[in-house]
Amino acid sequence: MQNSLSSDKQQIDETLLKLLPKTAKNDPKAEKLASFLHQITYKKIPTSSFSRMWLLGSLHTKVAAGYLAYWFKSRFADEDKKNNLKNEVHLATALQLFGTMGYLRGAVLKIGQTLANFPELLPDQFAEVLDSLHFEAPAMHYSMIREVFLDEFGAEPEQLFAKFEQKAFAAASLGQVHRATLHTGETVAVKIQYPNIAQTIKNDIRNLRLLLQPLRFTDEWTSLHAKLEDIEKVLLQEADYLQEANFYQQAAEMFQNNEKIVVPKVFTSFTRTCVLTTEYLAGVHLNEFLAQNPSQAQRDDFCHLLTVSSLRPYYQRKWYAADPHSGNFIFMPDGRLGLIDFGCIRVMTDQEWAINCEMEQAFMVNNEAKIEQLLAKASWFDSPKDMPAEHLSLIKHFSLWLLAPWKTKGKVNFGKKEFYLDGMNCFIKLMRKGYTRGAPVYLWSNRSILGYRVMAYRLQGYTDFNTIFQQEFPLRYPS
Amino acid sequence: MRISQQAKQENRNKILKIAMELFVNKGFEDTTTRDVAQATGMATGTLFNYFPSKETLAMHMVRRALQQGYKDYKQRKIGNESLNEELYLFIFSGLRKLKPYHSFLGPVFERSLSPFPRKTLCMEGEITKQNHLHAVTHIINSHGFDMSENTMISTMYWSVYLGILAFWVNDESPKQQESHAFIDYALHFFVQAISGTELNLGINNAK
Repeated sequence: MQNSLSSDKQQIDETLLKLLPKTAKNDPKAEKLASFLHQITYKKIPTSSFSRMWLLGSLHTKVAAGYLAYWFKSRFADEDKKNNLKNEVHLATALQLFGTMGYLRGAVLKIGQTLANFPELLPDQFAEVLDSLHFEAPAMHYSMIREVFLDEFGAEPEQLFAKFEQKAFAAASLGQVHRATLHTGETVAVKIQYPNIAQTIKNDIRNLRLLLQPLRFTDEWTSLHAKLEDIEKVLLQEADYLQEANFYQQAAEMFQNNEKIVVPKVFTSFTRTCVLTTEYLAGVHLNEFLAQNPSQAQRDDFCHLLTVSSLRPYYQRKWYAADPHSGNFIFMPDGRLGLIDFGCIRVMTDQEWAINCEMEQAFMVNNEAKIEQLLAKASWFDSPKDMPAEHLSLIKHFSLWLLAPWKTKGKVNFGKKEFYLDGMNCFIKLMRKGYTRGAPVYLWSNRSILGYRVMAYRLQGYTDFNTIFQQEFPLRYPS
Repeated sequence: MRISQQAKQENRNKILKIAMELFVNKGFEDTTTRDVAQATGMATGTLFNYFPSKETLAMHMVRRALQQGYKDYKQRKIGNESLNEELYLFIFSGLRKLKPYHSFLGPVFERSLSPFPRKTLCMEGEITKQNHLHAVTHIINSHGFDMSENTMISTMYWSVYLGILAFWVNDESPKQQESHAFIDYALHFFVQAISGTELNLGINNAK
């Protein structure tokens, strides 16, 4: 046990060390940073509302202070130094975020994962360090796992399963995943939730609301408030594994065996609110897949599967898969794509769906007046005339970028840097200008589409998006 | 009239069963020894022959439950647990057996286990404490530490444990889920304090 634990720690430390950029002058081996990461990786979850509030507050302060320090120092630095300084501040801020988010998990971890989905918008260090959150979060020990099982099933893992691995093989945003074998012989993945996570999500959202109180007299408050409510609803839904099991089963019905998209089977007898047992899919995540130097044909195949897996649930079930990060996809050795997380699904209301269809149709037929009218409505303005010109122009540009693959005949090159950066930069501009007013559903649509776009960009794949779209939604717009 | 040992034991069990029902339904504070005596059909004086006070009666239930919990812990122990994990297993095995009494244990613990000076000591409480510390000493020593029951470690542990009990009895979350993370955090804190370094955490002493 002693050796195994020590080697685990060593392995995690080495992984962290690899992630860190090396600065030749100051800390050639990045030892100070590694030591800092080591400390924050083993922090436990604080449970009281007060300590979480303090951490959230301190996160906010640390980020602000980091950038303030940069701004101050940069006034006295020449251009080269300025760049170095900027990188240092980015890195320090990423580390602070990593520490605090790894510590808080719950809602804040979700925000961390979203940040990790923008590899080229944020400095490289952000993306690399934050991306590791998917798999490097500290684990619940086995004694705690056993207590969760006794609470949920009235039985120990060894009683329920023929074999149960005491050590988690992956971290999930709200828990961790263990490999096990059923008495019937199937290998399964057992996702176990941190006890009381639903309550901590509620506390986090309440604390976020408190942190955002200074904004309550601004124009954006109503929109922000509605969005927080929506986020809370989706996150609490994510904390209910019985609901996730239901989404899994609905998703499985959408894909045929010959489509090379696999939704693992759920074992309902071994599933409860805090424990989800599914078929185990062997394969690798995106980073490992890319490290194998796949051929262009392999990249294109997976890009195709990724597109089908995103469009079908959208058109058939009105779903936004709102958490499409690399940890939720398995690149299987036989070329199939495994979908392994259905926790963060935002189901659209009929009204939201109708607006989306109307918007999509207007874009497809280039109806400029209609597009502007609908964008104004989506941003909670009475008419396009009431919107600041820059706001309207940016949101139109971004929406055109989002829908570009729908309108492109033939293969789309998702790996094209100019295309990718065009949309991402536009999105960042919208955020920085504060043009975020609108219905909560657009939080999830942006997150979903951008998440898939990032995955496809990293895959450097080509796919005939328009043909897939026609197949998935053969002109069924409301008249 | 002399009654047999068997009849005595039956009476004890009957008192415990009825008292538990009363404590759960009416609350510990609002249940009197007279209520218990009446419900069992015996005189209050006779009840005192079995249990000298209401606290003793309740703590007897606690001691019995914790004894069961200790047996469970010994059965469940795998042998590769770190100190933190093993203490967690030990404490939770006990708390699981205390669950049926959860609703009324707050005042019972306060009166019977309080570390502050009291006029009257609850003997059942003292025995429960000694038994618990004895088991913990064994666990901690098996991880390479030296804890005799009179040392600072023992006092520190008992303070942490009372804090855990206080948190647990106040935990109204479903299945007392909030206590899981709290207890884990408290035990990390304790093990870290006795280990002296942040990174050791007693893990290196796991047997």
